[in-house]
Amino acid sequence: MNLTLHIWRQENTTAEGRFSTYRVEEISPDMSFLEMLDVLNERLINKGEVPVEFEHDCREGICGTCSLMINGVPHGPEKGTTTCQLHMRKFKDGDEITIEPWRAKAFPVLKDLVVDRSAFDRIIQKGGYISANTGNAPDGNAIPIPKPDSDWAFEAAACIGCGACVAACKNASASLFVAAKVTHLGLLPQGQPERYLRVTAMVEQMDQEGFGSCTNTYDCEGACPKQISVRNIARMNRDYLKAKIMGN
Amino acid sequence: MIGIFRSTILTKIAMALSGLIWIGFSIAHLSGHFLLFAGQEAYNAYGQGLKDLGPLLWLGRIIFIISFLLHSFSGILLLSRNKEARPVQYKAKKPIVSTPQSRMMALTGILLFTFMVYHLAHFTWGVVHAEYSHLTYTLSDGREVHDVYTMVIGSYQNVFVCLAYVLFMLGFGIHLSHAIASVVQTLGFNHPMYNSLVKKVANGLSTIIILGYISIPASVMLGVLKLTGGH
Ligand code: FES
Repeated sequence: MNLTLHIWRQENTTAEGRFSTYRVEEISPDMSFLEMLDVLNERLINKGEVPVEFEHDCREGICGTCSLMINGVPHGPEKGTTTCQLHMRKFKDGDEITIEPWRAKAFPVLKDLVVDRSAFDRIIQKGGYISANTGNAPDGNAIPIPKPDSDWAFEAAACIGCGACVAACKNASASLFVAAKVTHLGLLPQGQPERYLRVTAMVEQMDQEGFGSCTNTYDCEGACPKQISVRNIARMNRDYLKAKIMGN
Repeated sequence: MIGIFRSTILTKIAMALSGLIWIGFSIAHLSGHFLLFAGQEAYNAYGQGLKDLGPLLWLGRIIFIISFLLHSFSGILLLSRNKEARPVQYKAKKPIVSTPQSRMMALTGILLFTFMVYHLAHFTWGVVHAEYSHLTYTLSDGREVHDVYTMVIGSYQNVFVCLAYVLFMLGFGIHLSHAIASVVQTLGFNHPMYNSLVKKVANGLSTIIILGYISIPASVMLGVLKLTGGH
């Protein structure tokens, strides 16, 4: 298939960016979206042009490194899928595809389609962990955990930190990311001692990073490649309020 | 107190609680005005009854003014923060699951503010459409009171006033349909078992409130409510 790509090109964080248009020909529908970009880059390099910078690592949908706004939707048109797991069969011959980086003040563009997501790392550093050293992993059922709690914690722990929630939100809010991290530890016994300190510290870091606030539009849930539910945000609000009332 | 506004979540909670007070107000306000259907005597007596509450009326007013200020202040604060959070816009951006009403809260909020000023100027301060604003009525117990019945019905006999109210109320409905479900989420209640119920209640309640409000000017237009002679 032959496609027309409108890709955001930007030299560095301070440079002004613009869209460049490229034609790619003879793309196999079995290629992944990133492989299609690999083909484009190879051709650009052969012509002596600067290739398009984009991020990727595992290409298996588990690391959260890939991050592209494809035709106005984070990770493209396939629901519950990362960019690296999106295949060209989702597109038609002759399609025009607009590819942009995540747009948020807290995610400055480094180059072309690559943004700096270390704001997420700083939020995690504030409490997305358990500080007790517990030795080896305990036996599977040594700590009884209600099944609904462990299921919910697992669902929240599926967050790969890609930032699609921020990219999709009209307010560039990181609520779904932070809520998922707060929930996955806050529902498990190991996470209890630091539960309220964690939610306060992480939410405050989120605010400091300059993310917007949640207005309950839920595009984050729609964009999440792991389909993490906005009920985590309600849970985060609840825990945060409790923490504030208790004076944490 | 000021510290609340440093946290987006606490600001949202302030927004939700003050909004909740206004939802309560809109229901109480509507039920009072349904007395229009009970006739001139009942409605005017109700109007006078409110005035007779004296300090209690003012307590209510102060609560509503405070929640109004809190609601608009938090709204403006969050809006400016949210605009700042995305300095460069997307060229192509598609909504995924969000509803148009959820994305239009600021817009419908501004519309509601305009409506409130107009509404107060009309019925409370009596400075617009003033021709019916200063009549009096003698209650059956002989007391001379403000003829609010004639003021309301007389004003709604003007097609443009009616139309303006209906349009404003539709805007209010759009605001409300997202607001009610949103309050529930912001205050931390979200459970897969109850989510569809919350949605139904939110839509149902906003429809009832809006249809209730629209029914008043509509009844005047249709001649169900009309002016009676006795001043
Ligand atoms: S590259 Fe790892 S999730 Fe896409």
